[in-house]
Amino acid sequence: MSSIISNETAPPAGTAHAHHGSGPLVWAAIVASTCLLLLVFQKVLWLVVPFLLALILYYFLYPPVRTLIYRGMSRDGAASLVTALFLALVAVAGIALVPRLASQMTQWQDTVARYVQGGMQLLDGSLRSLEGHWPTLARARLADTVAERLTHGAGSITDHLEPVALGIMAWTPSLLLAPFLAFFFLRDGRRFKRFLSAAVPNAFFEKTLFLLHEIDRTARAYFQGLINLTILDTVTLAAGLWLLGIPGPLALGLICAVLAWIPYVGSILGGLLVVLVAATDFPGDPAMAYWAIGLFGVVRLLDDFLYMPMTIGKSLELHPLVTVLMIFVGGAVAGISGLMLVLPVLGVVMVIGETFGVIVTDQRLMARHRHALALSREHASRDL
Amino acid sequence: MLTLFRQRTTSPRLERLHGLSLFVNLTPAELEIVDGLLHERSYLEGEVIFDEGEEGQAIYIIAAGEVLISRQEEIEADHAAQPGVNEHGAAYPRRRQGDTGLVARLGPGTFFGELALLDNSPRSAQARAATPCKLIVFFRDDFVSLLDTHARIASKISRQLACHLGARMRSMALAMSAHQHLV
Repeated sequence: MSSIISNETAPPAGTAHAHHGSGPLVWAAIVASTCLLLLVFQKVLWLVVPFLLALILYYFLYPPVRTLIYRGMSRDGAASLVTALFLALVAVAGIALVPRLASQMTQWQDTVARYVQGGMQLLDGSLRSLEGHWPTLARARLADTVAERLTHGAGSITDHLEPVALGIMAWTPSLLLAPFLAFFFLRDGRRFKRFLSAAVPNAFFEKTLFLLHEIDRTARAYFQGLINLTILDTVTLAAGLWLLGIPGPLALGLICAVLAWIPYVGSILGGLLVVLVAATDFPGDPAMAYWAIGLFGVVRLLDDFLYMPMTIGKSLELHPLVTVLMIFVGGAVAGISGLMLVLPVLGVVMVIGETFGVIVTDQRLMARHRHALALSREHASRDL
Repeated sequence: MLTLFRQRTTSPRLERLHGLSLFVNLTPAELEIVDGLLHERSYLEGEVIFDEGEEGQAIYIIAAGEVLISRQEEIEADHAAQPGVNEHGAAYPRRRQGDTGLVARLGPGTFFGELALLDNSPRSAQARAATPCKLIVFFRDDFVSLLDTHARIASKISRQLACHLGARMRSMALAMSAHQHLV
């Protein structure tokens, strides 16, 4: 019988299926496909963003669904119950928080204005200090010019609230898709996998099963890597801010770490936030803001060149250099959405590309497929 | 709410799975979990299911039809033992498996390629459909995740697998001793 026969014998000619590593052609196709997908995704962000959120939610809700299935509940029932509980929890949190947040809205507006003012004062003070050291800058009246442009260009906070509110209203319907998508992933994920694999010819079936498993593993590893990266960023920033004596280090660190999900742009926003807090809470000590900028720079470098390759890059089994290069390529091809999507898209395309490369270059598998097709034709025309 | 956890009635499909030796000890609830992991494939007579030397990814259970298990080197040995069959010596063309090189002919309810569940070593023989057949496929990584998430189910399957392998080893040992006795 197949199983108890020794595996030490060498495979016969024509049946040896050595797994060759992906060549430059396959890799070029992987990078090109990733760029093309990023361009397409940029056009359908209204669908891609809720889809991504739904995937995160799926990986978050899957463990309780699995536990319920093991306890004897059907998959449909478990998926429905867990999604309903999650939505109920969100609704309760919303009901509890929204009135409180609404009552503090006016106070928020004042707080934001105070921090913006603090940042403007820091910038003004720094520029005047530079003018004191550099007569050329003083003659150009740099501080006055920048202050004037910021006053005219920035406008009031109310001016900025309108587009933000409109943006939230425009995105809300598509973001509401996320929990529904997550529910269907939880309920029908396996059916979808079986549906896909059923369409694959017998000769490629095992390889396709492996491919689907690898895609699932890659996506899971990516989102787990993202969570690990957020924890590392939060801890490092919080420790640094705490050492500097800036108030609310943990909350600030967490907000900056979540903003860092958008590579570079999110980091700049996070840095700006920390500097504004430092400049406003320590108005007489501009050095504190400079220290905060320095700390943020160090954390960004750690994040981009150490933490990200260690967490997300490692989870995708990508070389750190490829991770960094692909982030730049993603940004150049599709802007902010490209920066956010490049690594998960590359991870999935990489698995598909490598498996496809293995199948196409395996002459035995292709021959088996042709043989199966010939048998099928023969079978179909047997009694004609 | 409690009705969600009540004992389920078994469907004909689950009844059929329960009849397979690998899943004979599973409860209906456990069978339903396993059923979610299984794939069903149809093969035509003469179609190769997997090749000798190929990396094994799954175990196959025969739901209907018959499957031939054969080894290439035994075919070659048979060729060498028959002068004039192939005068060119080494380069034998791959042949459809008949009686030559045949290791076993398996029928409904039996399974093959089970070592793929345990490791990813190359397949030690070729499997080919002897008649049009329907196979149930259990992917290795699904079995591995079952070990993590549903250890009870996985241990029941593993036990059946171990019993099956033990029986085969005993029959092989008996066959070898009988052969030595004759020599």
